[in-house]
Amino acid sequence: MIPALQVPGRWGVPERDFADAMAHAEASAFLARESEYMDSRRFSEWAELVDESFRYLVPVPVTPDNPLSPPFDPECLLLDESKASMIQLWFRRYEKGMYEIAWGENPPVRLRHFVTNVRVRGTDDENVYDVRSNVLLIGVRQGDAPAFLSAERFDLVRRTDTGLRLLRRIAILDETLLAFPQVRAML
Amino acid sequence: MSLIETAPRFAVSRRIYNDENIHHAELERIFRRSWLFVAHESEIAEPGDYVTRRLGIDRVIVTRDEEGGIRVLLNSCRHRGTRLCRADRGNTSHFRCSYHGWTYANSGELRGVTFQPEVYGRDFDKSRFSLFSPPHVDIFQGLVFACWDPEAPSLLEYLGPMAWYLTTVLGKFDDGVELIGVPARTLIHANWKSESENLSGDGYHTPVTHATAFELGLFATKSDLELLGEVSGPRFTGRTADCGNGHTMRIQRLPLNTPRPAFHGYPEELWEQIERNLTPAQVEVQSCLSVGHGTVFPNFSFLENFKTSVDGPGRHARYIRITLRYPLSATLTEVVWFGLRPRGASEEWQRLSRLGYLRTNGPAGMFEVDDLENFVSISQAHEGNVSRDFDFTLEGGLHGQAAPAALGWPGDVVDGDRTERTIRAFLLRWHDLMEGNPSQSQSVTVSHGR
Ligand code: FES
Ligand SMILES: [Fe+2]
Repeated sequence: MIPALQVPGRWGVPERDFADAMAHAEASAFLARESEYMDSRRFSEWAELVDESFRYLVPVPVTPDNPLSPPFDPECLLLDESKASMIQLWFRRYEKGMYEIAWGENPPVRLRHFVTNVRVRGTDDENVYDVRSNVLLIGVRQGDAPAFLSAERFDLVRRTDTGLRLLRRIAILDETLLAFPQVRAML
Repeated sequence: MSLIETAPRFAVSRRIYNDENIHHAELERIFRRSWLFVAHESEIAEPGDYVTRRLGIDRVIVTRDEEGGIRVLLNSCRHRGTRLCRADRGNTSHFRCSYHGWTYANSGELRGVTFQPEVYGRDFDKSRFSLFSPPHVDIFQGLVFACWDPEAPSLLEYLGPMAWYLTTVLGKFDDGVELIGVPARTLIHANWKSESENLSGDGYHTPVTHATAFELGLFATKSDLELLGEVSGPRFTGRTADCGNGHTMRIQRLPLNTPRPAFHGYPEELWEQIERNLTPAQVEVQSCLSVGHGTVFPNFSFLENFKTSVDGPGRHARYIRITLRYPLSATLTEVVWFGLRPRGASEEWQRLSRLGYLRTNGPAGMFEVDDLENFVSISQAHEGNVSRDFDFTLEGGLHGQAAPAALGWPGDVVDGDRTERTIRAFLLRWHDLMEGNPSQSQSVTVSHGR
C-alpha cells in the first residue's frame, strides 16, 4: 500500500477520539475558506493556505470483491500533485496570456464544493490535526447538465503562527466510472 | 453518398460521430469482427485472478484458470442471464450465480446446478451449458486480445507489422512491463473513434491543442536538449507507419545527435536491456524518442512519452500508457486507462515516471483535459440535423510525402508527422468493414500521391 494511504480508523489502522468543539469550528472555517478560494479561482490565496510540503493524492477507485477491502487500489493513483505542480501545471493555465491557449480551461468548468461532516482528531504531532470531511463536488461544463463527484477527504492540517495550513489531502472517490467533465479537480 | 469518399477528394461524412444507426452497425460489423484488447497479462498473474471488462459493449470476465490458461467468458449466467461477476477484479476458482446458484469453474464449465435431481433430473447434461466465450483468445507482448469472429485471422496476422512496433514499446525490458494497480475508468460524451483517430498518429494537433504544455515546460526546450546531448536542429522530427488493417503509429524524435542509442527518460541501467532486446532497426525507433503512439484498430491505443520537468525543472521521465475505449453509444464512450511500468526499475524512478504519466497523459493530466474538449465538441457539433449532412476533409499529408531512406522499419513509413494519413488508414479500414468487406487489407497505399 502507498504508505500515505494508510489512514487511521480505516482498513485496520487505529484512530483517536474527536478533538473538542473549538477545533471543529476552526477546521470547518478553514475548509470553507479553502473551498471558497478554489471555487472562485483565487489561486494565489488558495496557495497561501497550503504548506510547502503539500501532497494531493486520489487513489483509483475500484469495486472490490468483498465488503472488507477498501474501495480503491492502494497502489495506484489517479492524481498525485504537489503545491509546485498545482501552481505550475494547473493555476498558470488561467493566467492572462495563457488562458487563450488553455483550451480545457476556457471556458472553465464551474466547480462548487459542498463540504460536510467535518471530523477533527489529534495526531502524534500536537500541531497537526487529522481533519476528515465529506465533499460533494458539482462541475458544470458550458451548457451541459451538472455533473457530480462525491468523496471522503482525509486531510492533515497544521497549526502555524499565521493560521492553519493544509499539509496533505487524500480523497477517496465513491464513483468507479468517473463521469465528470474533467477528472483534473481538487476535491 | 457513401460515408467515405476517396475521390475526387478524401471526404468523410460527419454523421459517423453522432448517429445511433451507424453506431449499431459498428457494433455488428466492427466490434464483432475485430480482435479486441481486453486485459494485460500482469493483471491476472495467478490462477483464479480475474478482471471484468467489455469486449465492444459486451461484459466479459477475463480470468486465469487453474491450469494457468487465460479465459475470456461472457459475464452472464447460462440459466437466466444474470451477471455473474460484479466486482472489478478478484480471485476465485468458481463463479456462483446469485439468482439460482448455478456454479461455473473459472474455465467456464458448468459444475453445479442447484437441486438438479429435483428440478432438471439426474440426466441433465451440464456440459451443454458452459459460459459463452469468444472463439479466439491470444496474447502478444502481454496484451490479451479476443475475437468473436470464428473466421478471423490469427492475432499475429491481424496485427501484421504493428507487432514489430508494439515490441519496441512493450518488449524491450528483460522482465517485461506490468500494469500499475487497476485501470482507471472515465465516461466521456464523445464518439469512440475521435480518440482512436487522434492516437493513430495526429501530430498535427499537438502545437495547438497542447500549446500550454510547451509554455509550461513539458516539451523539451532548447536548454533541456543541450543538457541531454548535441542538438541537431530546431525541430523535432517525426514519422508515421501504416501497418495495414487500420493499425498505425507515429514516432517523434528529439533533435539530438548521439554517438550511440540514448533512451532519455529511462534510468541508464535499463538502456543496455533495451539495446539487447530489440533489433537495431527497433532501437532506431526507441532512441531519442520524444513520443510514440498508435492505434490498433479499432479501440486500443498505446502511447510512450518523454516529458520534461514533470516534477520540477530537470525532472524528466518516460512512461507507457494504454487506453481502451468501449463504444457505449454514438456519443458516449467509456475510456479505460492503463499505466504500465518496466519490471525491476527503481522505486525512485517509478515514482517520477508515474508523476509524468499522471500529470500529462493520465486521466486527470493536462494533455487529456485539452484533448477531451475537442473530442466531446465534435460529437456535440453534430447533434445538428443539417450539420450531419456535410462532410469534412481529410487530405493532410496527401501531397509530397517522402519515404525515408531504407530504415528497415516494416509497414508503409513516411517522413513527417503533421499528416492525416494515419486517420485515413483508420477510417478506410472502418469503411471496409462497414461496407461488409472484411478482407485483410495490406498496408493502405491510398495515401500515396493522391
Ligand atoms: S440465472 Fe443464474 S442460476 Fe438462475
Ligand atoms: Fe493530444
